[in-house]
Amino acid sequence: MQSKTKVLDPILEINNLFASTEDLPILKGVTISINPGEIHAIMGRNGCGKSTLSKIIAGHPSYKITKGEIKFYGQNIQSLEPEERAQSGIFLGFQYPIEIPGVSNLEFLRVATNARRKFLKKEELDTFDFEDLVKEKLDLVKMDSAFLSRSINQGFSGGEKKRNEILQMALLEPKIAILDETDSGLDIDALRIVASGIKKISNKQTGIILITHYQRLLDEIRPDYVHVMSDGQIIKTGESDLALELEKHGYEWTDNFLKNI
Amino acid sequence: MQIIEEIKKNELLSNPSEIQKICLDKLKLNPLPNAKNELWRLSNKSKFSSFLDFSHKNKESKASLPYKKNSRNIIRLIIGEHNAINLEEENYSIKELKDSEIINYIKKNICNFDQNDHWSDLLNHCLSSKKNILGLNISGNKIPPIEIFSASSSESLNAKTLILFFEKNCKVDLLQINLGNENSSLSQSTYLCLEANTSVNHGVVSYGKNKSNLLNSLNVIQKAKSEYILGSLHFKFNYARFEIRINQLEGNAKTTIKGIQITKNNDQIATYTNMQFNGPNGILDQINKSLADDKSHAIFEGSIIVPKIAQKTDASQLSRNLLLSKYARIDTKPQLEIIADDVKCKHGATISQLNAEELFYMRSRGLTLAEASKLQLSSYFQEIISCIPVSKDRWDLLDKLLKEN
Repeated sequence: MQSKTKVLDPILEINNLFASTEDLPILKGVTISINPGEIHAIMGRNGCGKSTLSKIIAGHPSYKITKGEIKFYGQNIQSLEPEERAQSGIFLGFQYPIEIPGVSNLEFLRVATNARRKFLKKEELDTFDFEDLVKEKLDLVKMDSAFLSRSINQGFSGGEKKRNEILQMALLEPKIAILDETDSGLDIDALRIVASGIKKISNKQTGIILITHYQRLLDEIRPDYVHVMSDGQIIKTGESDLALELEKHGYEWTDNFLKNI
Repeated sequence: MQIIEEIKKNELLSNPSEIQKICLDKLKLNPLPNAKNELWRLSNKSKFSSFLDFSHKNKESKASLPYKKNSRNIIRLIIGEHNAINLEEENYSIKELKDSEIINYIKKNICNFDQNDHWSDLLNHCLSSKKNILGLNISGNKIPPIEIFSASSSESLNAKTLILFFEKNCKVDLLQINLGNENSSLSQSTYLCLEANTSVNHGVVSYGKNKSNLLNSLNVIQKAKSEYILGSLHFKFNYARFEIRINQLEGNAKTTIKGIQITKNNDQIATYTNMQFNGPNGILDQINKSLADDKSHAIFEGSIIVPKIAQKTDASQLSRNLLLSKYARIDTKPQLEIIADDVKCKHGATISQLNAEELFYMRSRGLTLAEASKLQLSSYFQEIISCIPVSKDRWDLLDKLLKEN
């Protein structure tokens, strides 16, 4: 399918990517290209490789790329450490954000923000300036400042954890954000808050990959493209109406596409 | 081990005091602890012998303190250096114990000492001269924080003894700092007696320099309705043993023990705790953490003893350990001995490595592996360090020391 924004150079290109963990092949030839301003949705059954793809883009050390490449602004990022990818503008919103007892959320956010600012050659923020910035961003996801004084994600509800992920995205201002099931575990109101936050953060220079099972997130954030994944491959790509078809027919409908590959 | 030879030949001291004589007699037949005894089984023989390699006859120690006393509202004492103290204020008093009180107290204790269980104390009392014994009687409830330093001097074995009596209704923050000098050994024996209704928040911070050794023995007696909180940190010793014995004499008391030991290089640091409940309704909340890197060895052995008289005891002992290198070693053994039948006692131990998913989460936000590990480790310390009564300026120093080490 031709890109709607083909005049621009892609932010992220994934070409024929094969990857495995502990010798178990998971990705079996994934190809996607994300241009600035585009929103892509990836859907598929549990275990089809969606989360693995997101972790591999972010540089999780447990996965090994066996073939293919990932390019970020034209540069192969395979040899980059996870922190180098994050600093350069790749953001992964976790499906299950990790709780880290004893590490202050505020301090963690400040160190992370300054790591990104350093890469962007911006002045690093001291505690006071950072508090001003973070309070402004808290409004985007309607979070209370009391969350900042707690340990990272510790004792947060499912919805609060997801909002904390979007808060981090807002602070880090990534070039590409991969949001892995950000909508799971959210009630209707929380989903709207999170979706509204994502929309406010994204712009014409950024790309977003939404990994989701449900149409309800895509009702809030309309994707430019929808990809269906199965058994480690993209088996179908379409526009936003593909998600509606999928909702209507279920994944069995997509099995036919797999047979045709 | 020149000291041991001298004990055997009766040549250690030319003019021993009454206490020194009693202890020497106890040690003469078996001057070394039994290596097969559970409390000494894992002790590294060559490191233990290096503890005894230094002469006790060398120069007296002179503590080089890590920070200035910048608040008048702190009582600072250095064992072995002149600190005559006799404070009688409106809300509190701190008075030195008389020689006869000190002698009687130590004599009363040592007559019950088992050679293996209290070897460290017996050696301490053989070597500790009158000058190096500090005894205080403390009363009142608006007492300024107290800091007590012990230090060894290089190429020496120094023995220091501290005896503190806390009178009824006394409430105090006490910070004890043991400083090991280069190529030195420090023997520190401490006795705390908490009368009824006292509350003592006790911090013990021990850190050494290149090739320093430490035998640190702490004996605590708690009477009814007393509360004792111990937060301890031991690091940077070639060889260190921290022996804690707490006796809730009448029950109805509360004890909290939170300790951490950090080993690097080829260090060996061990913590042994013995918690004895001798009355009903006693409470214990204990966590011991070890963090072992390089080729070091950390040991924890804890025992909780609940005899029949100690009904309704509520005790918890956890040992949590982090191995940072595949060559490091951690031995841990939390134990319960329960005779009473109406008690709540639990114990457990874990040994793990830095959590890979937590590290990845932080790295995925731009923190380097070193930064993420440091944050994770500082969170690991936090639970323990927060129990140590250290003011902000001292905490900065401690934080700096921990980061450097």
